[in-house]
Amino acid sequence: MSRTRFVHQALCYGSDDEFLDGTLTFARDGLDAGDTVLAVVASHNIGLLDEALGDRSEEVEFVDANDWYGSPSRTLGRYNAYCAAHYTDATGRPRGIRVIGEPVWSDRTALEVREWMRYESLLNIAFAGTGHWILCPYDTRALPVGIIRSAVRTHPELALGPRQSAHCGRYVDPADFYAECDTTRPPVLPAGRDDVPFARGRSAHVRRAVSAYARGLGVSEQLTHDIVTAVHETVVNSVRHGGGRGVLRLRSDSEYVICEISDPGTPAAPSAPPPPPQFPGHLPPDPSAANGHGMWVVRQLSDLATQTLDPTGSVVRLYFGRSAVL
Amino acid sequence: MDTVPAPRAVGEMRAGDHLLLGYEADEERETVVAAFLLDGLASGHRGLVLGPADLPADLALTFLESRGCAVDDELAAGRLSVDPHLATPDGLWDLDEVIRRETRRAVGDGYLGLRVSMEIMRGQAGKGLKTLHDSELLLEPVFASLPVLGICQYDRRVFDEGELAPLDGLHHGRVAADLVWHDELLSITRTFAPPGLALAGEVDDTNVTALARALHAETARARARPVNGVRTRIDLRDLRFIDVGALRLLVFAGGALSASGGTLVLHGVAPHIQRLMRVTGWDRVPGLVVEQSDL
Repeated sequence: MSRTRFVHQALCYGSDDEFLDGTLTFARDGLDAGDTVLAVVASHNIGLLDEALGDRSEEVEFVDANDWYGSPSRTLGRYNAYCAAHYTDATGRPRGIRVIGEPVWSDRTALEVREWMRYESLLNIAFAGTGHWILCPYDTRALPVGIIRSAVRTHPELALGPRQSAHCGRYVDPADFYAECDTTRPPVLPAGRDDVPFARGRSAHVRRAVSAYARGLGVSEQLTHDIVTAVHETVVNSVRHGGGRGVLRLRSDSEYVICEISDPGTPAAPSAPPPPPQFPGHLPPDPSAANGHGMWVVRQLSDLATQTLDPTGSVVRLYFGRSAVL
Repeated sequence: MDTVPAPRAVGEMRAGDHLLLGYEADEERETVVAAFLLDGLASGHRGLVLGPADLPADLALTFLESRGCAVDDELAAGRLSVDPHLATPDGLWDLDEVIRRETRRAVGDGYLGLRVSMEIMRGQAGKGLKTLHDSELLLEPVFASLPVLGICQYDRRVFDEGELAPLDGLHHGRVAADLVWHDELLSITRTFAPPGLALAGEVDDTNVTALARALHAETARARARPVNGVRTRIDLRDLRFIDVGALRLLVFAGGALSASGGTLVLHGVAPHIQRLMRVTGWDRVPGLVVEQSDL
């Protein structure tokens, strides 16, 4: 069985047998068709699939899900890079890509869980127009019911067993799901002593301040560079679209360095301002595009980013894991 | 190992300066000497070129023509002159006398001073460069007392650094091409071997247009160069920060060069900048090559 359009399926499994029912034939069919097959699954499931595939196992690329699902935007970037590198074979002929991708949901905060759900939904946009096939196993024994419920809303299809699937009646359009993810927003950070006001032409000042703050926390050189670049790009965006000035607030806790960039917007615009871009920074930009790389970079360099983009005032909050392993 | 002080930009030279130019490419010599002589015309100085060969004056000065100087007019007016003195076998022997005389003559003719550019020939340097050392030593009192500025030009393809280093002490330092751009964040300089630009500091939204200008001029020069395959190298070893907008400009410039078969080579790209290029996919675009640093 092979399909030419993008397929994104959820596989809700409650046992090892159900996991194999849903994945083994999928992988074998892919190998038979000459597809690249990548399995990013829980370590226990690597063992199951590896054994079931027998001597064909070495044709499948296995990655432990814990090593892959680090942060939603970076994982999307990684899949994108993987697909860009594998969509043709050694002779340049087009080749199908099949992915078994099992996101990690345990030990996630409510914010992280929400962003991973958003990620699942955004895959439908990011890979629309490709012929890739992504199958996402969800372990119903271990996962809270809320996560299983979200899976049927973020996947257009449910995988039911070997070569069997059904359209998902509860699938939600990614734009609507995206908006739903943003219905609850964290309150803006209160003013603090590390606040850095910024304005047009002052981005170097912001870079000095954020760099000093990061160094003061003792974070690595690499992470400091990432924070400086991500904050700079957000500030430049804010100055460009948010009325020319704003404030950067810096916080940290045991887990994250948090940088919040807010601006007052341009309420007195003479004409209706253009609507903010859809899915800002979530989708891989064309390298030759005239814009759109800034927010993509911000999301690739941060671990989590929340953004409220509004002509009457925007707030972007960036989270950088202090012990991030990249 | 090298403790040579930073070279002075040619545009910062003043009366009494006697500087050494160690150049690695003809374009470097021409760029520095042209700026030196054209600054002289602007400053009310006469320009004197002591060239390496006995050439007709207008031929010896064609490199000024392409920089917007009406060479024939300037020669006719006496504001520029060419003297084959150094092309004679014993040219170095009485160099100090020649410059003393020419400076006095320029002042007598109503000029505010003399600018002299001297191409040093290996063949006249004498055994162990003795003649050369003596000559440079004798020049010192001339520069100390008269309204004269001078550049001694040494071709580094002929004189090695070990020979030039002892000569530093006989000059007031070295001279280099003018900065292309300098602000509190960024300086842009030209490089000549290989040809291109060196960026030091930070490029962001405030100075990206300066980079655009410099790149545009540099790629235009690259296209005009008579070599196979246009290559412009941007040295980023001293670049601490570049933002996405400025990096996009480099990608664009590379793309434009690639359309005419050329390449923009990025040299010494720091790991955090390479990471930015990976994330944006700009490490795999036509016309842009990241050269692995020799460090």
